[in-house]
Amino acid sequence: MIQFSHGATKQRLFSDLEKGALDVTAKPSRQGVLDAGIDKLSITWKLSSTAKKQANFTTINVNLCYAPVSQVDRPWRRTENELFKDKTCPHKIITRAYNKSSQSFKYTLDRDILTGTYFVHTYAVDAKDYEVAFGQSTNEAKTTNLFSVQAISGRHKSLDIASVCFSVFSVLALLVFFVNGKRKAKLEQSK
Amino acid sequence: KPERAKSKGLRRNKTHVLSQEERVFFSRLLGTIMAHHNEDEGSIGTSMHGVTAREQVFSFSVQGEDDGPSSHTVRFDDPTAKFALPVDSEHRATAFKPFSFAKPHMRAFHLGWISFFTCFISTFAAAPLVPIIRDNLDLTKSDIGKAGVASVSGAIFSRLAMGAVCDLLGARYGTAFLLMLSAPTVFSISFVSDAGGYLSVRFMIGFCLATFVSCQYWTSVMFNGKIIGLVNGCAGGWGDMGGGVTQLLMPMVFHVIKLAGATPFTAWRIAFFIPGFLQVIMGILVLTLGQDLPDGNLSTLQKRGEVSKDKFTKVFWYAVLNYRTYVLFLLYGFSMGIEMTINNVISEYFFDRFQLELHTAGMIAASFGMANFFARPLGGYASDISARFFGMRGRLWTLWILQTSGGIFCVWLGRATSLPIAILSMMLFSVGVQAACGAIFGIVPFVSRRSLGLISGLTGAGGNFGSGLTQLIFFSSSRFHTADGLSLMGIMGMIFTLLVAFIHFPQWGSMFFGPTSDEKKSKEEHYYAAEWTEEEKRQGLHEGSLKFAENCRSERGRKAASDGSSPSTPPENGNPAHV
Repeated sequence: MIQFSHGATKQRLFSDLEKGALDVTAKPSRQGVLDAGIDKLSITWKLSSTAKKQANFTTINVNLCYAPVSQVDRPWRRTENELFKDKTCPHKIITRAYNKSSQSFKYTLDRDILTGTYFVHTYAVDAKDYEVAFGQSTNEAKTTNLFSVQAISGRHKSLDIASVCFSVFSVLALLVFFVNGKRKAKLEQSK
Repeated sequence: KPERAKSKGLRRNKTHVLSQEERVFFSRLLGTIMAHHNEDEGSIGTSMHGVTAREQVFSFSVQGEDDGPSSHTVRFDDPTAKFALPVDSEHRATAFKPFSFAKPHMRAFHLGWISFFTCFISTFAAAPLVPIIRDNLDLTKSDIGKAGVASVSGAIFSRLAMGAVCDLLGARYGTAFLLMLSAPTVFSISFVSDAGGYLSVRFMIGFCLATFVSCQYWTSVMFNGKIIGLVNGCAGGWGDMGGGVTQLLMPMVFHVIKLAGATPFTAWRIAFFIPGFLQVIMGILVLTLGQDLPDGNLSTLQKRGEVSKDKFTKVFWYAVLNYRTYVLFLLYGFSMGIEMTINNVISEYFFDRFQLELHTAGMIAASFGMANFFARPLGGYASDISARFFGMRGRLWTLWILQTSGGIFCVWLGRATSLPIAILSMMLFSVGVQAACGAIFGIVPFVSRRSLGLISGLTGAGGNFGSGLTQLIFFSSSRFHTADGLSLMGIMGMIFTLLVAFIHFPQWGSMFFGPTSDEKKSKEEHYYAAEWTEEEKRQGLHEGSLKFAENCRSERGRKAASDGSSPSTPPENGNPAHV
């Protein structure tokens, strides 16, 4: 519960990572707003020609991350330089061992993905599970190649109907008691 | 053995046959003791009532003097004999027995505070679930903040109107109407799919917080002025607890529903049905078990012409003219207002800042609101104790100390970066601010006699206003981190609490100044009679105010005792038209 500083963990900063070490592309299965749980993303990643630290790469973590427009006025999704505090990437897509050749994965959007605008981001981690480098499917300003997802609403027709039934019951019960009470008072008065 | 008709219970010889009077006395004593266990029967006895000492006899009425039992003769058709608690001449209870459900008094107390408690649960039900709701509805911080403001704003108006509603319909229908007409708004959460819908529903649910007024109104007509401070403090505090209980209840219900198989985005909607059900059930209980007045229901009594009323325009005028009304409005805004704001933001704050589980954050947030159980009555009690020694000045200083310490601990809460310190500061903050609420209502009854009901309602509305204001300024935009918002709110609260120094009574003084030296104006009678015009005084309408003035001489503090005036008694709330 309490934030303990794990020494090295606390100091790991995003700005220390090697930029653009991996070329990542993410192609939605169709145009427009994608539906969570239904639509797919075709994700590919390969080592970039400008990469330098690839000797340390052991595993590649592929994540789904919020674009800035989905972070505006939402401090719980804030991008922080300290990696352990960073909240930009809520969803793990897949984790694969590092391979020099081009990798791909067809990702069906999870049902619990929230409504928002996203891009795909990959971290290259070393044997100690520390992030070393990253790559993302968008540019540095995170403005290109974004895609939107529409989450499930959580609403159900049965819930709506139950809600109406109970509401009507409440109002009717009140009216019945009220009218009854007035009638009794009138009867008492006329006695 | 001869019967001694005149014996007064003295043991003249070893065997003693009881006289008629002694039999009546002992049977009533027995009956009073038995009444504690069997208080549902309200039937009036037969003409042999009390003779065999086996009938259920209920307490006799309090005459006010210390009359010995043997000199007390009971008429068997005495209507007060049917009450489970001792009552005064208006049939208001003079004893407070919280473990009893006897009708009509204790039943009204319990129905009143539980209804208010239920409405607090509904109004703040969304708060602990905000981390889920904000994901489902794609809310921004401003959306959440605005909805929080909306949730407390509706009650500003409904609390003002509630006094009049209770006058018209009685406390029973007033409470039941609020509960059962706002239950549909709670159920309608299932239709919400965006920020606008969320805000509208929270706004509509918030209207039911007017049960504060109906609850205090109901207890005021049921309980005598000597104990009304304690009764209202308990009813208010225990009702306010709902804001804490909901932080625990809703995550638990949400978790159980998820276990039953629902997805999170459906589960939170179903969870709202629980407060909805509670409201409907309480509404039905109020209608079936409750009673407006000690003698019966309002419609019956009105037709008999027993209930008289003051003119609303006059009551309004004198409330508006009294500057203390506005001071109290603002003061309550920064005690109750801050408390309600915390109810809305604290769970999300702990969830985000300390990365806790939803139900853990809820548990911590709950302990804030639940401190009300003892904190608010404690504040009222502290106010009464300080009045015994220092009079009204003591009450004012007590209020200032409690509310300022609440503010200090609020600042500390915002600064806390570790969880144990945050919880400690939060608990101290909760006691300070909730006791301040109790202390404010230790002062409200003295501000006006004629307009007490309206001023109580206005003070209550001030609480909602303060809550809306603080949420709007500090928690609705990304300008402040929530932690900074908390600290700044504490500072703002402390600044506004300085207004206590401006409450001055000519007859009792204020925090820094003594009572006025003017011979005429330093009398309590002058202050309370000033609320009536000469014409009304000629008609004798101000008699109640004069009696009230006499009763509150204790607010002079120790000096009152040395003046030889009546012993320390809190004033009576006489007229049922006033809350």
